[in-house]
Amino acid sequence: MLDRVIFGDNQFFGINHMSEEKAQALSEKFKDLQSITYVIDIAYDCGIRAFMLNSHEKSREICDHFRRNPTRYNDLVLYPSIPYAHKYANSVSEKGIFGTLKDTILADNTFADVTSLISKGGSVLFERDMIKVMQMLVDIEMKIFRDLNIKVLFLQNIVTDLMLGFGVKDVFIEFAKHLKEAHGIEPGFVTMNMPKLVDFLLDCGIDNPVVCSAINKAGYFMNPDQASYENALKEKPFRPIAMSILASGAVKPEEAVAYINRQPTIKSVVFGASSRQHIQHTKDLIEGLDH
Amino acid sequence: MLKAGFIGFGRMGITHYSILNSHPSVKIAAIADTSKTMRGLLAKYLEVDTFTDYQQMIQKHALDFVVISTPTDSHADVISFAIDHNLHVFAEKPLAMTPVESERLVERIGKKPLVNQVGYVNRFNEVFMEVKRLLHAGAIGEIKNFSSEMYGATVLKGSNSTWRSKRSLGGGCMYEFASHCLDLVVYLLGQPERVAGSVLKSIYSSHVEDMVTSTLIYPNGISGTINVNWSDETYRKPANIVTVFGTRGKIVADKHAYKIFLKDDLAYEGFHQGWNTRYITEFAHPVRFYVRGNEFTRQLDYFVDAILEEQSDNISGFSQAHKTDLLMSSIVADFQKSASTKISGQFIANSTRGSEPNLTLWQKIIKRIGD
Repeated sequence: MLDRVIFGDNQFFGINHMSEEKAQALSEKFKDLQSITYVIDIAYDCGIRAFMLNSHEKSREICDHFRRNPTRYNDLVLYPSIPYAHKYANSVSEKGIFGTLKDTILADNTFADVTSLISKGGSVLFERDMIKVMQMLVDIEMKIFRDLNIKVLFLQNIVTDLMLGFGVKDVFIEFAKHLKEAHGIEPGFVTMNMPKLVDFLLDCGIDNPVVCSAINKAGYFMNPDQASYENALKEKPFRPIAMSILASGAVKPEEAVAYINRQPTIKSVVFGASSRQHIQHTKDLIEGLDH
Repeated sequence: MLKAGFIGFGRMGITHYSILNSHPSVKIAAIADTSKTMRGLLAKYLEVDTFTDYQQMIQKHALDFVVISTPTDSHADVISFAIDHNLHVFAEKPLAMTPVESERLVERIGKKPLVNQVGYVNRFNEVFMEVKRLLHAGAIGEIKNFSSEMYGATVLKGSNSTWRSKRSLGGGCMYEFASHCLDLVVYLLGQPERVAGSVLKSIYSSHVEDMVTSTLIYPNGISGTINVNWSDETYRKPANIVTVFGTRGKIVADKHAYKIFLKDDLAYEGFHQGWNTRYITEFAHPVRFYVRGNEFTRQLDYFVDAILEEQSDNISGFSQAHKTDLLMSSIVADFQKSASTKISGQFIANSTRGSEPNLTLWQKIIKRIGD
């Protein structure tokens, strides 16, 4: 069972899709661990237990904080997402794609058996078994969240959608299998192309997939259009999680929730806010769906 | 169904592939890339023919168009070959290493009915499209001044390992970043006539510049500056900021939003006097398939539509990109001349020696800039 309300993490990393000014203001507001855990604790006190958390560098500290305070966070449920793509973007500019993959794997000490292969032959592994490389990258990214209670682990939309365009089923099938078999974790996918992704995942044989996408009254970030989203929600067997319900502030919370309410298959909603009043208000609105 | 070939399969090639592979009117038949590792991967996972040599690919496959995402130093040769084989061309920016090369490419296309487009993706960003419309509709009156800035955290330490750090291959902040910033100026305001006060500066890189600043001057009295820095850690993602000042108002825009200030009481298209902010959420349209940003899909779909509709007059065509190449080389030439004025106080001393400042001289100076 997915949590009804999941607290989003974009604000902690200075991400705002509507305005660079707002993004900068957020990154100043959440400049250190304390300012982040302060808001997490407000959400916690409002009764929220489920939190999204991207494998951003800052999340290391956040997760250390959770682990250091097991009593406080004993019923915390994490919905992590990987990777934080911008972390790799600069490295790709500097070292190229394979250089970045190689250095990322070599920098980790988990894979003694393959590191010699990579450092010697350079590219042999990439050609021979990209799936293995993908699994190693997943394991490296997941280390940030070790020993914490993970409900669903999401592949971020930048990777999901890029790979969806490539249409290589093995990548999705093996990602899902690896999470389930090696980690006992439910795989999830974040996307900006929900109807297309859902069809594709069902084609891959991934049953009842967990798919997180923007779903809002404004139609923002809903590609190719809002009507296709509404149809997919009505007709496809998957577990939809709605994010960006406020469309980065373009929709008022009441209207946002009313729109979500008209899509009865949505069981779970992600939202981010930083003041106690907003958090409590939005949470209450979303939970009002039950009544 | 249009048959496509890809030349160069790095970061941009991969993005373009993902977007076009899902296009209902496009079949990607082949990919040429110099990396053996990449070709091995592609052969294993995709149903495409792979090549080391793009010429072989073009000769073997009856393609309709190519997508070229190789380092800039190869553009002139690769694009020429594609044109000679009557292929429509989408090429990454900048068009060529020099304006001489890019002019030759424009001439080579000549009257051939070939769609040609350069990946100046800002031209397909909905905020900048809207800003262009407003400027041309006279929303802020007569344009007097502008600034076009681009910042990003792309190079934060010295490195010499990829083509981006080598000028001879088309690397450096000028080709990579300033090209976008300058193209945006050309897109919004047209081509300037002169450049002045240009500075190229290294911060971390040993062989290329990390910063570019310059002043651009138009024959009709518009002038403005560019300020580009790819070593600015304060930006999470590369950001463009454009400010345009006119006689009746001002516009400040980035990829996500614009603000328009109107002096007059007259409501203009629902704007009121003073500041008006419009976020992209209010006017963005979704795309067929989203990867990295609406504008990336919009530019490629526009390219494909242009081929299908036999429309070779392109909003981001080679002749437009040539203007940006001209600007870049003029800025480098301006910097090399290093003509500048030493701070000395001489002018003020001369003009205020008497009791009145030298007004005639001032008028002459202002007029020269205004002309």
